[in-house]
Amino acid sequence: MNRKDFLKKGLGVSAAAAIAPRKLFGEEARKRNARLFSKPLKPTINGKWKEFHLYITIAEHELVLGKKIHTLAFNGQIPGPEIRVNAGDKVRVFFENRTELNHTIHWHGLYVPWRMDGVPYLTQMPVKPGTTFVYEFEAKPFGTHFYHCHWSTMLHMQSGMFGAIIIDDPDDPIKKEFPYDRDYTLVYSQHDVNFMRESLNDMLNRMKQRMYLMKKGEFDPERFGIFDNYDQLKKYVDAGYQPPYLNNRRSPAGLPVANYFLVNGKAYPNSPVIYIKEGERIRLRMINAGMKEHYLHLHGHDFWEVADDGRPIKYPRQMNTVRLSPGKTSDIIIEGNNRGLWAFHDHDSRGSTNNGLYPGGTFTFLAYEDLPDHERETEMMMGNMKMKKTLPIIDLDE
Amino acid sequence: MMKKILYTTILSLFVWLVSAGVRQSYAQVMPEFELAARGVMSVNGQLANSHTSSATNDFSDSSVLLGLREKLYNDFRGRLVVGFQFPDARSNLGQIFFHQVFVQLDDHTNNFLLGRTRLYSRLIDFPTLRDDDALDFTDVLNPFSNGINTQDSQYGNIIQYAHVFDQRFWIRAYGTHYTQNPTILGMQETNFSTNGGGGVFEYLVPGSQIWNRPVLQQLGVGTNIFSTRRYPGIDKKEVLTSLQASTIINLKRDPVNFIDLRHQTLWNLGFSDDVNQLHNFFDVTRARSVATYTTFRFLHSKLEVPTYQLALGFGYKTFTGLKQKTNEFQVIANGFYRIGENFDVGLQYEFKHLNGDLQQLNSGRSTINSLKLAVIFSTDFLFNKQFDNRNSLLNLEHGYIN
Repeated sequence: MNRKDFLKKGLGVSAAAAIAPRKLFGEEARKRNARLFSKPLKPTINGKWKEFHLYITIAEHELVLGKKIHTLAFNGQIPGPEIRVNAGDKVRVFFENRTELNHTIHWHGLYVPWRMDGVPYLTQMPVKPGTTFVYEFEAKPFGTHFYHCHWSTMLHMQSGMFGAIIIDDPDDPIKKEFPYDRDYTLVYSQHDVNFMRESLNDMLNRMKQRMYLMKKGEFDPERFGIFDNYDQLKKYVDAGYQPPYLNNRRSPAGLPVANYFLVNGKAYPNSPVIYIKEGERIRLRMINAGMKEHYLHLHGHDFWEVADDGRPIKYPRQMNTVRLSPGKTSDIIIEGNNRGLWAFHDHDSRGSTNNGLYPGGTFTFLAYEDLPDHERETEMMMGNMKMKKTLPIIDLDE
Repeated sequence: MMKKILYTTILSLFVWLVSAGVRQSYAQVMPEFELAARGVMSVNGQLANSHTSSATNDFSDSSVLLGLREKLYNDFRGRLVVGFQFPDARSNLGQIFFHQVFVQLDDHTNNFLLGRTRLYSRLIDFPTLRDDDALDFTDVLNPFSNGINTQDSQYGNIIQYAHVFDQRFWIRAYGTHYTQNPTILGMQETNFSTNGGGGVFEYLVPGSQIWNRPVLQQLGVGTNIFSTRRYPGIDKKEVLTSLQASTIINLKRDPVNFIDLRHQTLWNLGFSDDVNQLHNFFDVTRARSVATYTTFRFLHSKLEVPTYQLALGFGYKTFTGLKQKTNEFQVIANGFYRIGENFDVGLQYEFKHLNGDLQQLNSGRSTINSLKLAVIFSTDFLFNKQFDNRNSLLNLEHGYIN
């Protein structure tokens, strides 16, 4: 065994020792795990309006133990805070830009007035550094939705600008058909951390120059790459302007290739655990805020797919693997009818890796919190290997 | 005896084979690759009044650099850089000169460097076509050199430690081996011992924060000391000291039309009154002198990359303590125009006037006029990027992540 192997294995064993299985089911572990689910943001009630305050900043974020990155973060967290309202509520969101970049918020799946839709230069001007924009809309339709930035969408969404918005309905047909007490929101995302870092640095550099010019009242369509309309762009191109996507201005595309896969902003072994009790039903509200498909597979159970993009499915289906495409939401109901510790992971195994190493990424599990102690015992062989005798054990490298 | 030799040979072969197998089975982390290249192709013409007129095709100072960098097991990063350059045609360095070969270890605030690289014979760079165009005014000259190779004053072996604090303040201390050119041409250098050293204290605004800084980009002071002979042929070594001070100031901090001023002054404290006449390069490096160089640069950047640049530089050097009043001054005016992402065309005019002993050293010439028309290619590319730089905007303004 060489020195590097020695260090790797040593870390794995010590990490397992630090998170003993008994603690997974203890109060402390449950509290720690609860922090991995975004708490609903508290609104201020102003007449008939529910008012929320969102701000965007650049923060340090730890994806998984030992791996930190710079990222954009609503209210300093990833995913952004959950907004939870009732269908028909009047919602007002104050969005403050505390960065040196432009942003907007798009309310994905919601029927908002078109000026509130958050597409820069189409429905609104971008929210400039240091300014605040107010979004106002009626909360509809009910269901699981999300919000995300629509400025430089490929980069900003990858850089953490997303969060859940859940619109409840007291007459929710899903709850009538499948009564449940708990629901969990899982926001999936994928990140090319090198692309994020380089692109954010480039963008910050460009914006420093542009802000300087904007303060002086100078605007140049060619420099900013912004034109009043197509005819104006064509006129500039005919006069010699080289658009920024041409090969003489830009290297061949370095599109992002994700190397970290997150659920609620974390990768295994820091990913959130989903607790259930025997005989209970729980609802998972799953959102794909990334660019890659996930094929989420639950061991030991068939669950009910009950909603697609927030809309109840007329005839719910039972399955053990559900496809979650980019931009989509999917709600499932899990019935606690098979006690144990069950893996819940992306069956495109790339989504269960950290920097190419399995297991990692979106790997997590369904834990029956009333699992008796004696059912967590391992085989005799584990004891012979001088490892802890109870499961689960943190595994970083298979 | 034969049995012992055979046994040792077989054992060595066995150990080598086993270790080769272990090396192959151990997966290595691929480092970051940095490739930098610069091609400077010019047609140089010596104009009338220079006593000779000629035109030469010059590609000196063209260079390639390859860097490999990766994270170490702690907070440090390691880097290996290897580079070669095409030296001046009249130098005796051959076709290719390996001007950079070094290893660097650095973390957030500490920087260790060992190998050969650009020396602190100057504190700042100036906008000239080639970096030795104003060498007499911009660099502390190598007292071990015979003056034929300008690279002798620019590159050398160095062991250096630097510390950076508050992101912008640098302290460097180093020991150097300046190239020793023997007096007999064609002989190889045989002594590579440390023959100099120095230190620099500098305030330097990182390039990424160019739009943050109001006026001052750089302010620095430094010293170079050499342990060298006072007289030729005498073995006794004495300390020869030079002092440096420099600054870079923004005159117009505008992303589209940017103007800056660069200035540096060098004081060679010399060997007091011993050198009172300049017979050769040996004397030039040991005579007391003061040299200054100042440039004004205008940079126009239309689409957030440089479009064209105009610069005007003035150099003045005077030797104090000589029997004859001796000084020189130089004016360099140049312009560069970008014709593509990595390609520029440039035109540079140089005028130099020599007085006193310097005329004799330059075959009696008092003025030198030259015009250079150039095509320049430059690129700096990073592959397999894995981590951020110390001076990126994210690390400087949003918390340093190793």
